[in-house]
Amino acid sequence: MRKAHSPRSPALARLGAVLALLCVWEVAARGFVDKMFLSPPSRVFSSLDVVLRTPGVPEALGITLWELGAAFALSLALGLAIGLAVGLHRFSRRSFLPVVLLLYGMPQITILPLFILYFGIGPASKIAFGVSHGVFPVIVTVAAGVQNVKPILLLAARSMGASRAQIFRRVIFPHMIPSFFAGMRLAMSATLLGVLLAELYVSSAGIGHFTTLFTQNFDPTKLLGLVALLAAMAIVLNEIVRRVEVKAGRFRSA
Amino acid sequence: MLIGSRAVQVGFLVGAVALWHLATARWAVSPLLLPRPAAVLRELIDVLATGEFLGDLGVTLGELAAAFALSSTTGLAAGYLVSRSRYWIEVFEPLLAGAYSIPIILFLPLYVLFFGLGPASKIALGATIGFFPIAMNTIAGFGSVEKIHIVAARSMGCSQYQLFRRVLVPAALPVIVTGLRMGFTIALLSILGSETISSLSGLGHRIVHLAENMHMARMFAYIAFAVAIAVVLNLVATLLEERGKRS
Amino acid sequence: MKALAAAIRIRNVSHHFGEEGDPRRVIALRDATLDVARGELMCLIGPSGCGKSTLLSIAGGLVAPSAGTVEIGETRVRGPLPREVAYVFQENALFPWNTVAENVKLGMLFQGVPEAEREARAESALEAVGLAEFAQHFPDQLSGGMRQRAALARALSLQTGILLMDEPFGALDEQTRMILGEDLSVLLAEHRKSIIFVTHSLGEAVFLADRVAVFSARPGTIKKIIEVDEPHPRRPAFVTSAKFHALRDELYSLLHDEIRKTVSESALDRAGRAGGAAGAGG
Repeated sequence: MRKAHSPRSPALARLGAVLALLCVWEVAARGFVDKMFLSPPSRVFSSLDVVLRTPGVPEALGITLWELGAAFALSLALGLAIGLAVGLHRFSRRSFLPVVLLLYGMPQITILPLFILYFGIGPASKIAFGVSHGVFPVIVTVAAGVQNVKPILLLAARSMGASRAQIFRRVIFPHMIPSFFAGMRLAMSATLLGVLLAELYVSSAGIGHFTTLFTQNFDPTKLLGLVALLAAMAIVLNEIVRRVEVKAGRFRSA
Repeated sequence: MLIGSRAVQVGFLVGAVALWHLATARWAVSPLLLPRPAAVLRELIDVLATGEFLGDLGVTLGELAAAFALSSTTGLAAGYLVSRSRYWIEVFEPLLAGAYSIPIILFLPLYVLFFGLGPASKIALGATIGFFPIAMNTIAGFGSVEKIHIVAARSMGCSQYQLFRRVLVPAALPVIVTGLRMGFTIALLSILGSETISSLSGLGHRIVHLAENMHMARMFAYIAFAVAIAVVLNLVATLLEERGKRS
Repeated sequence: MKALAAAIRIRNVSHHFGEEGDPRRVIALRDATLDVARGELMCLIGPSGCGKSTLLSIAGGLVAPSAGTVEIGETRVRGPLPREVAYVFQENALFPWNTVAENVKLGMLFQGVPEAEREARAESALEAVGLAEFAQHFPDQLSGGMRQRAALARALSLQTGILLMDEPFGALDEQTRMILGEDLSVLLAEHRKSIIFVTHSLGEAVFLADRVAVFSARPGTIKKIIEVDEPHPRRPAFVTSAKFHALRDELYSLLHDEIRKTVSESALDRAGRAGGAAGAGG
C-alpha cells in the first residue's frame, strides 16, 4: 500500500544530485586530471566574466542568437505555409507527405559542407542549416493538425451554411493551432541543433570560432565557460517556447 | 487515388534528377557548385569498386558499435536501478529529460579537448547522447509494470530473480527496445556530426575532406553512400525493434 | 465454531493507512475477528472502502496488519504463504505475454514443481474450468469471463488448502457472473477448500457462501455474520426460493444504512435541507 507522502522533497533531492555531480567534477579536476584537459567548476564559474570580456565573444553570442532567431522565424513561416498546402487536400497529403517524411529522416549533417559551400562561412549558412532542420517538424505537425479535424465538426459547420473560406478560418485553422505550437517546440530544438552544428563546423566570427580557439589553446576554463553559457541559452530558449505552448494550450478545445 | 499519389512521388524523383541534369548540362551551373549526375555516378561506382570506402566506413561503424555498447549497458543499468523506487523516478526522470533537451553536440569541443581528434572523442560523445533515451525508456518500461502483476507473482511465491525474469522484463521489454532503437539512431547521427566537425577519419570526415579539396563529384558520391548506410542501419534497428516488441 | 476446526483464525485485526497526525490518514479496519472453518466458503460483503479487500490481503499475508494476528493452521501469518494460500484477483492478473497454459504453470514454476507434474496439473485445472481448448491462446484473445476462469485455473493448480478471491467477477457483466457463479459452486463442491470471497453483490454472496460476514462503513468492522444453510453444489433453482429472498433481504437491510453512510451526502438530505430553508425563509 502506498505511503501517504514521501518525507524528502524530490526537488531537493534533484538539487542534491546536481550538487553531488559538481562536487565530483571539482575533485576530479583538481586532483586527478591534467589542468590542460579539465577545469573545476569553481574556476569555470569565477572566470565567466573573463570569457565575456574576451574580445569578440559577446558579439559572437549576439550573432548566434540572431542566427537562431532568424532561423526559427523562417522555419515557422515556411513550415506553416508548406504544412497547410500539403495537409489541406487528401491528394497533396498522400503525394507529398511521404516525400517530406523521407527528407525529415535524412541525416542532414552529411550535407553540411554543401551548405557552407553554397552560403559561405557567414551567418547565412547557419541560418539556412537551421531552417533546413527546423522546418520539417512544423510541416509535419501542421499537416497533421489540419488533417485530423473531427468530421462531425465539419458537418456541423456545413449544415449551418459556412463557405469553404469560413470553414478554413473558423474550424480548420483554430483546430490546427495546438499542433502548430507543439511543432514550434520541436522546431526550436531542431533549429538549435542546426545552427549550433553549423557554427561548430566553421565560423568566422560566431561562437564556433571561439570554441575552436579555446580548444586549440588548451584552455578548458574558457571553453567550459563558453559551453556553459551556450547550454544556458539553449535551456532558456527551450523553456520560453515550452511556456508559450502551455499558455496556448489553455485555449485548446477538448 | 493511391496510384495518382505514387505517380506524383515518382514524378517528383524523376523531376528532381532531370532538373539536376539540366542545371549542369544546359544551364551552365558551375561543376564546382553542382557536379553532373553522370560524374557522381561514375565516382560512386569507383568508390565502391575500389573499396576505398572500407577504411572510413570501418571507423564510423566501429565508433558506432563502441558508443552503442557503452550507452546501452550504462543506460539499461541506470534505468533499472532508478526504476526500483517511485521516489528515485520522481527525482531523476526530470533531470534526465532536462539534460537531454540541450543539444549535447555542444560538448563536442570539450570531448575533443579531452580525448583528442581520434575516435575516442566520437565514441564518448555518441555514448553520452545515446545514454539518455535508453535510460529514460528503461525507467518508463520498468516503472509502468502493472502492480497487480507483481502482487500476483509474489502471492505465488516467486523469488526476486524470478520476478525480474518472468514479470518485469517481459512487461517492460517493448518500451525498452524502443529506447534502444532511439539511442542507436541518435548515436549514429552524433557520430556522423562529430566526424564532420572535427575528426581525422570516418565517413563524415571524408566528406569534409573532399569538400575542402573541391572534389565535388566524389563528395556527392560519398554523401549518397553515407545516407544509404544510415538508412540501412535505421531500417535494421527498426526491424529489430519490431521483433523485440512482438515477443 | 471450534478453534481447532478453523482453517483461518483472524483475531482483532485493525489496519490504518498513513501515520498519526497525517491529515490523509485512513482507518481501514477496526478490530475484525473472524474464523473460517475448514472447507467453508466465507463471503465478505460491505460498502466501498469498508476494508474487506484489505482484510483479505492481511489474511493471505500480503499486508502486515497494524494490529492483531492471523493464524493459518498452526502458523502465525507473517508474509505470503504460497503453498497454503492461492489468490484470484479482480482482473488483469494474468500475464499478457504468456499463453493461458504458461500462465497456469507459472505459480508451480515459482514453487519448484517439476516440469511433468506442472503439465499434468495445469491440464487438469484447465479441464476443470472448461478452458482446455484455449490453452495456447493469449489472455487478450479471451473474453473477461474466460480470463477469470484462467485465473481460477491458475489458483486451483497450486493445490492449496485456502483460496482467497477478491471480487473475481467484479469486472464482468451480470449474465457472465451468474454462469460463473454456478460453475464455481459445482467446482468447489468437488475440491473442498477453505475460501474467503469478497464481493459487492448481495445475490452472489447468498448463492455462494456458507456464511456471510457483513461489514460496516469505514472504519470497517464486522457487523454481523449470517448463515446460509443450503447444501453444495447450489442449484440455479435456489435463487428463486423463499429462503434465498429472505437471506438477501436480511443482507440488504443490514447494508443499506452502511452504504448510505459511505456516500457523504444524499439527494434526499439535500432536498430535505432545501425544503427546510425555504420553510424557514417563508
